[in-house]
Amino acid sequence: MELGGLGWIFTVNLIIWTGLFIFLLRIERRIAGLEAGGKGR
Amino acid sequence: MTRTISLGLRGALWLVMSACIWGAFFYAWSDPAFVGQSSRILFFHVPMAWTSFVAFFAAAVWAGRYLWGGRQMRHDRAAATAVECGVLFGVLATITGSLWARIEWGAYWNWDPRQTSIVVVLLFYGAYLALRSAMADREVRARISSVYALIALVVTPFFYFIVPRITESLHPEPVLNAERTLDVDPRMFQVLLASALAYTVLFFWLHNLRARSQALIDALEDDPS
Repeated sequence: MELGGLGWIFTVNLIIWTGLFIFLLRIERRIAGLEAGGKGR
Repeated sequence: MTRTISLGLRGALWLVMSACIWGAFFYAWSDPAFVGQSSRILFFHVPMAWTSFVAFFAAAVWAGRYLWGGRQMRHDRAAATAVECGVLFGVLATITGSLWARIEWGAYWNWDPRQTSIVVVLLFYGAYLALRSAMADREVRARISSVYALIALVVTPFFYFIVPRITESLHPEPVLNAERTLDVDPRMFQVLLASALAYTVLFFWLHNLRARSQALIDALEDDPS
């Protein structure tokens, strides 16, 4: 894969988006835990 | 059951957004009128700008619901959160636009009418957030900032949709141009539409998380024990 090529940029974008997505899922689970009266995780 | 549906919707968002990223680089063609591959930023920049408008519009709707819907604090919280998200997407749209301007126009900032109008809008909503942080009383804060968010609804469409169509600008024509025609390749339009949808859903998810966390903070302030 050529550094800076379309495939490379696509991969970096996908990694960033997936990272953000997992981060948001974790935050959501934590908020749900706090709403339920627990400490969240 | 609800949890399964909720996770399914989030999974669908991941899939659509991932497909949009793929489509932006491999499905849609690069417009030869622009330098190199720079036109592909369209699929990120335009949905971000669009989402910021959706957020500001939603803020006004929630502000209206606060004023005429029983003065419930959750509506005020939702309006403030929508403005925060709108500013976030607006800043991202400005950054991506500047990156594109550097490639196409040779400078990050040119005081083009489009660039100037988004700065005015961001300053307007920055003032909203500053105004909120300056008032300690929740009722007063909610009432004044709701009126502000409603006034902003008059200002915002002017800067988003009217200024770009009545001024001479270096900025490319809007997708839906002044002649009310769509001037874009079908593949580019498909990716753009899907991307705008995905960003809008992402906004509502972010908004939901932020509003819920703010509700927890408010509850903690009311009852620290």
